[in-house]
Formats: sequence, C-alpha cells, structure tokens
Amino acid sequence: MVQYNFKKITVVPSGKDFIDIILSRTQRQTPTVVHKGYAISRLRQFYMRKVKYTQQNFHEKLSTVIEEFPRLDDIHPFYGDLLHVLYNKDHYKLALGQVNTARNLISKIAKDYVKLLKYGDSLYRCKSLKVAALGRMCTVIKRIGPSLAYLEQIRQHMARLPSIDPNTRTILICGYPNVGKSSFINKITRADVDVQPYAFTTKSLFVGHTDYKYLRYQVIDTPGILDRPFEDRNIIEMCSITALAHLRAAVLFFLDISGSCGYSIAQQAALFHSIKSLFMNKPLIIVCNKTDLQPLEGISEEDKKLVMEMKAEAMKTVIGQGGEPTNGDGVLLTMSTLTEEGVIAVKNAACERLLDQRVELKMKSKKINDCLNRFHVAIPKPRDQKERPPCIPQSVLEAKAKQAAQMAEKEKRKTEKDLEDENGGAGVYSANLRKNYILANDEWKDDVLPEILDGHNVYDFIDPDILQRLEELEEEEGMRQAEEENEDFKMDGEELTPEEQAALAEIRKKKSLLIREHRMKKSTAESRPTVPRKFDKDRKFTTERMGRQLSALGLDPSLAINRARGRSLSRRGRKRERSLDKGDNDAGDAMDMDVDQQNKKLRIRSRSRSRSKSRPPGEVAPGEGFKDSAQKVKALKLAKKSVKKRNKDARRGEADRVIPSLKPKHLFSGKRSIGKTQRR
Amino acid sequence: MRLEKCWFCSSTVYPGHGIQFVRNDAKIFRFCRSKCHKNFKMKRNPRKVKWTKAYRRLHGKDMTQDSTFEFERKRNRPERYDRNLAENTLKAIKKIDKVRSNREAKHIEKRMKGKKSKERREAAKELEQSIHMVKPPSILAQDPSLTLPKIKVKVSRQQTEENHAMEE
Repeated sequence: MVQYNFKKITVVPSGKDFIDIILSRTQRQTPTVVHKGYAISRLRQFYMRKVKYTQQNFHEKLSTVIEEFPRLDDIHPFYGDLLHVLYNKDHYKLALGQVNTARNLISKIAKDYVKLLKYGDSLYRCKSLKVAALGRMCTVIKRIGPSLAYLEQIRQHMARLPSIDPNTRTILICGYPNVGKSSFINKITRADVDVQPYAFTTKSLFVGHTDYKYLRYQVIDTPGILDRPFEDRNIIEMCSITALAHLRAAVLFFLDISGSCGYSIAQQAALFHSIKSLFMNKPLIIVCNKTDLQPLEGISEEDKKLVMEMKAEAMKTVIGQGGEPTNGDGVLLTMSTLTEEGVIAVKNAACERLLDQRVELKMKSKKINDCLNRFHVAIPKPRDQKERPPCIPQSVLEAKAKQAAQMAEKEKRKTEKDLEDENGGAGVYSANLRKNYILANDEWKDDVLPEILDGHNVYDFIDPDILQRLEELEEEEGMRQAEEENEDFKMDGEELTPEEQAALAEIRKKKSLLIREHRMKKSTAESRPTVPRKFDKDRKFTTERMGRQLSALGLDPSLAINRARGRSLSRRGRKRERSLDKGDNDAGDAMDMDVDQQNKKLRIRSRSRSRSKSRPPGEVAPGEGFKDSAQKVKALKLAKKSVKKRNKDARRGEADRVIPSLKPKHLFSGKRSIGKTQRR
Repeated sequence: MRLEKCWFCSSTVYPGHGIQFVRNDAKIFRFCRSKCHKNFKMKRNPRKVKWTKAYRRLHGKDMTQDSTFEFERKRNRPERYDRNLAENTLKAIKKIDKVRSNREAKHIEKRMKGKKSKERREAAKELEQSIHMVKPPSILAQDPSLTLPKIKVKVSRQQTEENHAMEE
C-alpha cells in the first residue's frame, strides 16, 4: 500500500543524469544514419522522429516521478502530517509542481518544433531544428535540477521511514527524554533501539512488534518530548506529537520516578498536562519507570500528589470509554526495565486496554452486525446436574509421571561430555568405547584380540564350531598320513652302475661337442669362407692325435698310423725305403714311441722340401708361354737386370706402395646432399 | 586392518604396501607391488603368466581343492566376542596352517614322483643306443657290457730296466 511502503518509489535522477539518460536513449533507439541525398520527406521524418521520441521519454519519466510520490492530501493524515513535519509540505508540493510544469513545457516544445520540421527544406535546416528542440528540452530539465535533487533526498528518507500501519493495534510510548522508553521497547519486542545516557538518543519513530493473546501489536517508540510551547518544538519532537495526534493507539506515558533523567516529577507532570489533550479517546496508562532506583512509595508528598493528579486524568479517559468503569489498578503501573520487574505486566495491561477499546468500538459500529450475523456459537445446554469432569486414561497419567521422573533423572545423570571435561578435555581424554559392551563375561571387555596372525586374518577363522572342525581335520590328516606310509615303499630298480654312468656321461659330452661344432659351422658358413679340412692349416690332423683317439677307444692305433704314414705326401715325394720297413709293422709291439719320434722329424722335413723342390727354376711349365727353358732363363735374367739398378740405389720400386694424391678433392670438398659434414 | 590378496599374483598385501585401483564399475583391484600393477596395466592375464598362483592352480601345479581352505572364509557378520573362542581360534590357525603346508608339499611330491624312474629309463635307452660313440664295434663284440673301453697303457722296456736297478 502506498500509505506505509514508500520503498517502491523509483529513483529520481539528477538533472544532468536525466538529460544524459534520455539523450543517449534517443541516440540508441532511433536510426542514426542519414545522408543529404535522401528524399526530403525522409529527412524530415528522420528528425521528427528524434524530437518526438525524446519528448515521449521525458514525459514518461517525469510522469512516473509525479505519480509515485505520494500526494499528501490523499494518504492517511498520520503520514501526511509526518511527511509535513519531516519535509515541509509546501516545499514538497512546489517541487512536484515544478516537475509537472517541466513536463508540460517539454510537450509544448516538441509540438512546436515538429510543426516547424514539417517545412524544413534541407538536411541542414532539419538538423538544426532538431538540435534546437532537444536543446530547449534539456534546458528545461536543467532548470528543475534542484527540485529533482530535493525529491531524490525525500525519496531516500521516505524509504527509510518505519512501516507503521495506522489502522492496526498500536501502543505508543511517550514521555520526557531519557525516561526509559527505548529500553522498554527493547525489552518487549525484538527491536534494537539505541539506548544511551544522553538525551535525544532516539531521533525518529521506531517500530517493534509484540504478541498478546495471539494478536500482533505494533509498539512505537517516540523521541522524547520537552515541555515547550507548540510553536517552539523541533522536528524530532513534532514526530512524536504527530504520532500521538493521529494514531489510534494505547498511550503509555512514561514517568521517571527517580529523576535520573534530569527532569523532576513536577516538570514531567507539567508536560503531561500540556499534552493531555492529545490523549483524548485513547486508553492511557501512566508508567512509573526506574523503580529500582526509587520505589513509588518513597517519593515526596508533593510528587505523590502530582502523580495522583495524573492518575485522575488517566482515569477520566478510562471512564470516558466503554460503559464499564475499571479499577484504578490498570492505570498507574510501576516497573523497572533494568531489573525487568513489572515490564510484562505493563505490556499486558496496555494490550488489554487497547483490545477492549477496539472491541467496544467495533461493537458500536454498524459493520459489526454483518459480522455477527455470520457466525453463531453453539453452547450445549446441560441435560442434568451430573458432573462430568474430563477423563484422562490411567496410562496417560502414568506416562506423564514417568516422563517427569525421566526429566529429573536426566538432569542428574553424568554425561560422557562431563567425563571428558573432568579428565583433561578433548585432546587429553579419549573415551573408553568398550565400557558398555555386552559380553558373556565382563572381564573380557578389555581383551585385545590380534587382527593378523602368521599372514592370516584372524577374523576370517572365527567360527563357533571351530574346535569340532579342527578335530575332524586332524583325524583326516592322521588317516591320510597312514595311507601314505603304506604307499611309500615302491622300488625303482633300474639304477645304473657307476661305470655305466661314466659311459653315459662320455656319450653326452661327445654329443654336446658335436652339436656345438655343428652350430659353429652352421653359423659361420655364410659370413666367412672356411678353409676346407683337407688343407689343415692348424696342423691338427696328425697321426699322433689319431693314435691317441684310437687308443682311447680301446683299439690299437699302430696299424693305422703306419698306413697313414705310408701314404703321406713327403713319402711320395722321395723314393726312400724307409716306407717299406714301416710296412712290416706288427700290431701291438713296444717300440711304438721311438718310431713315432723319427716319423715326426721326417714329416717336418719332408713338408718343407716338398714345396720348394717341386720345380727347378729353368723348367718350363706348360701354360707359361715360353718356347724352351733357355728362353725362360733369359727372361728371368732380363727381369733381374732391370730391377738391379733401382734396388742398388735403394729407390722405391713397384712393390713400394704409392698414393697418387694425398688429398683427393672429392673427399675433402663439397656439400653433402643429406647429413652433416662434421668429419672428412 | 586386513590382509588382502594381490589380484594378479595372489600373494598377501600387508598394510602399507601396494596399490589399490578402483575401476568405474566399482570393482577394486589390489596389487602387492608395482610388478603386478604394471602387468595388469599391460592387460596380461594372470592365468597365463607362469609365476602367478592363478596359473599354478589352473595347471595343477599347486593344490586347488582342500578342506583346509574352507576354514578361512571372509565373514561379514561380526561375532560377539568370546575369550575361549578367541583362544581356540588362535591355536587352530597354527594347526590348520601346518596341515595345509604338509598337504601342499605332498601334492607337489606326488606330481614329481614319476620323474626319477622316467629319467632312468631314458638314460638306459640312450646308453644302449649311443654306446657306439665311445666304444668301437669290435671292442663291443668282445666286451658286450655298456661301459667305456679299457685303455691299454704301453710301458717302454727302458723304464722297466731302470726300475729293476732301483730295486736292487
């Protein structure tokens, strides 16, 4: 509702901002490109559009301002007066009026210039007309700049006004400054009003809410009022006066009995009497505060008299309402906000009085009949005089009793947290979680069972009938072992004798040797040429070796040796008779060793000779190309002669290696097609 | 604290060792060391990798079915603590262990049993067949036993004369 929610008013921009906003919007939302070559109607239309658009925007924004600000005559008189008190009514109206005139002016400007634009004949003329129009509109806004600023200030302040509903149940607190009004409202509601020792701590109205009999009451705290003539009051006091004047509320007039506010009871009483006209038709309660400093009974006689006078006035208001005269207790109350005694009583009394008054009013009004017609409370008539008290079943009573006992017990029981605190706090004490274990034997509570044993998880083996199963297993094992012993005596009688084993080892050695040699031969046959066996470059194949191998086999080698020697090349080269002697060799005589020695020497000698003595120098071989040996000898001589001189002079000959060029060019120069030339 | 089994080689993973891998389908693979972990990452099948227990069991190298394996079973329901039961369990674990290791050893022994006789038979056959490599047929005809031929050492006459001189 507009009345009590001023927070929804849109922000009023300042003059300059206003202009900026509107003009930039015009620039963005209307087409921007125009050339002088366009048709004249198009040019006119372009600029007319801009002018109209600007005017519309101004109109819109100014209208929102005017509409959203409340009209002081149309809202509740409380707010009207409050706003008048805070911001002068006249100024307010003036500002709004100026905004209104500005709006009208802008409309007129726009209308005029659009008329002129209709007859613009060139781009330049249209453009300057538009510029003029916009300029004038902006000047208008600039002129109302201060009003706009003022309205913005008001808006900000209004948004922060407390949201007071003038029609609902309200309790108003008033009195001198520093009597304890704000402390009281802090006590009964959730409001958090500043409480300070200096006067005028509260500078404006504060609202709190409190509940009584399922109804919500507004409690309004006012700034303190001083005893002055009406015209001299400042704005702050006027706030509270306004509230008092317009709100239909229960009034709590606070009185400081002790005088610690700085004003005597006489002064406060004087104030009371000066504003008592405002308490017309409102339930009034006089509250004596700060009784902890000075009880009501302890004040002086004159003061007491003054208080009684005030009470009498208050009584008048009571009797003036509702047909039933209530007693004087509800009118004068004592309390102390510091010690909190009597605070609730005061609140209840105020709420009660207010409620009664409102109900009375409602009953008297015409509307009530409509409400009354709508509902009907049915009260059953008693059938007979029998008493029928409420029946509570026995079990419920028992349960309630038990619960009460439990509550008592819970308070006495010692919790784990207490135990922890006793034994050194959270970091020091660790609770014994095993305390409440339920076991067959309570001694076992502290037992530590290993989790791992010999590479097994113990928990995997736990079984209630493990003993029985173990027994079965052991029986089984015993039986199995017996069976095995019976089976064990199986004979394998195929053992080889040691000589046979030696033979087998020899066989295996030979086999592996053969395999190895074959593998070597196989692998090297491709990579390099091997000298065939018959040329025997290592001179392995001697008769001695043959003799050794044959005797290892158990055979007599002498025959074989003789035969081999008989066939040797050296033997064939010289026709000596020694071979004949050796032919008669008989197997197995004792002279074999000597014979071997002589044979060896012969063989060596015969080897060397067989090579060099094969051909004499002059002999012509068939393929050489000489006619006869004389020619060959001559050729040899000539060859020798040609070389003789060079040799004598120790010069390099054909046999001496010659390098034609030490640094051939193709090796030491040139770039490579791929790769690096790091080395040559 | 629980001792787990390595998924790859089936050895026990002690606390503080190994790596645990959780797959997106929430299956947990535990490995005892990086060797098993790396083999797993290479997607090798432990049933084909010679040194794992899975291979050995599958190919009958190790004992597979036995009543001693049933004692160790993962129990999900905790039993109420009973001191006597606990004592008995601890003693039983040792005995069961012994029985099981005996049985495993017997299993392996049985497996190896036929080897000796087989070896001997093969040796005999080889000897018979290949004796010709060390013994020439003429000697074999004279001495048919499957042993190396006797080597005749030829002593010279000079030596014997010298000996006689020494003796005197």
